[in-house]
Amino acid sequence: MKHPFRWVALAVGVGVCVLAIVLAVTVSTDPHSEQNVSRLVGKRAPAFSVVGLDGKAVTSRSLAGKTVVVNFWNSWCIPCRQEHDALVAWYADHHDDPSIVLLGIVREDTQRAVRDYVNQQGVTWPVAFDPGGKASLDFGTRGQPETYAIGPDGVVAASKYGPVTPNVLDQMVAYAQGTA
Amino acid sequence: MRRWLPWIVLAVLVVGAIAYASWPRGGEESLSAHTLRIASELRCVDCESLSVADSATQSARATRADIRSRISHGESDSEIRQVYVDRYGETVLLKPSSEGLGALVWALPIAALVLGAGGIVIALRRWGRQPRLAASPEDEALVAQERARQ
Repeated sequence: MKHPFRWVALAVGVGVCVLAIVLAVTVSTDPHSEQNVSRLVGKRAPAFSVVGLDGKAVTSRSLAGKTVVVNFWNSWCIPCRQEHDALVAWYADHHDDPSIVLLGIVREDTQRAVRDYVNQQGVTWPVAFDPGGKASLDFGTRGQPETYAIGPDGVVAASKYGPVTPNVLDQMVAYAQGTA
Repeated sequence: MRRWLPWIVLAVLVVGAIAYASWPRGGEESLSAHTLRIASELRCVDCESLSVADSATQSARATRADIRSRISHGESDSEIRQVYVDRYGETVLLKPSSEGLGALVWALPIAALVLGAGGIVIALRRWGRQPRLAASPEDEALVAQERARQ
């Protein structure tokens, strides 16, 4: 090696260039992309067993074959309250469709607060508690509201972090039913 | 041999320090300690800058219960971590992964250290090879002349 210093300098230069390219590629992709779409989309929905307001179990097995819209929410979260009117409007249009189920699963709230909210706000769709937060964990929720559309085949077809609108819910159901 | 002695001593000290630092301590890890260790490597997904071990949210509690259950069922640490990576992505890991792009985070400082050390060794050897300045007979004569004048 005639000029070892030059080789070391060259190696450092190449290393810096590689680092710059890696950083450029990483930054040019959306760093929040992972947070916009659930990793469950396209996979089988996790099996769940939650407890309805009447104390009866609501299980994924009992809903098999239907299009299930699972909405994780709670009574104290502001975006959930903002979303409420959209859910009411959407459910008014779909509550008599036996192939579609809207299920609100409570995330991080007390039973009393949820019951008060349901009574005061006139929540007419099924609402269930999630003992131990297992369903929330298995769905990989990061907060609330979060909504998942599960097709009749049991596969999660769409997800939405944050409040939904009736149009978004229609789109999610269309994906789940394969009509989008 | 005498020339290499300091380097050999240095190498033994470095290897000894690394071995000492990485040597496992204490007895067998309890289930709770094991759960907390893995929980401390996972980010709490619905809180700011907290690990699952440090958070009191329902999801963090559920995660700790899930980790405990998975350990009890014999799942390895890496299998448990992978469950959460599959669920939330690499960002759930507080320690970057040692595979794929995450390996760069570990490899680059080592590469920089090796290159830097290599540069220093080369520089020292190069300087060592340069002839030391020695007084020529003319220089000696000049010094003797100045001394004689004083």
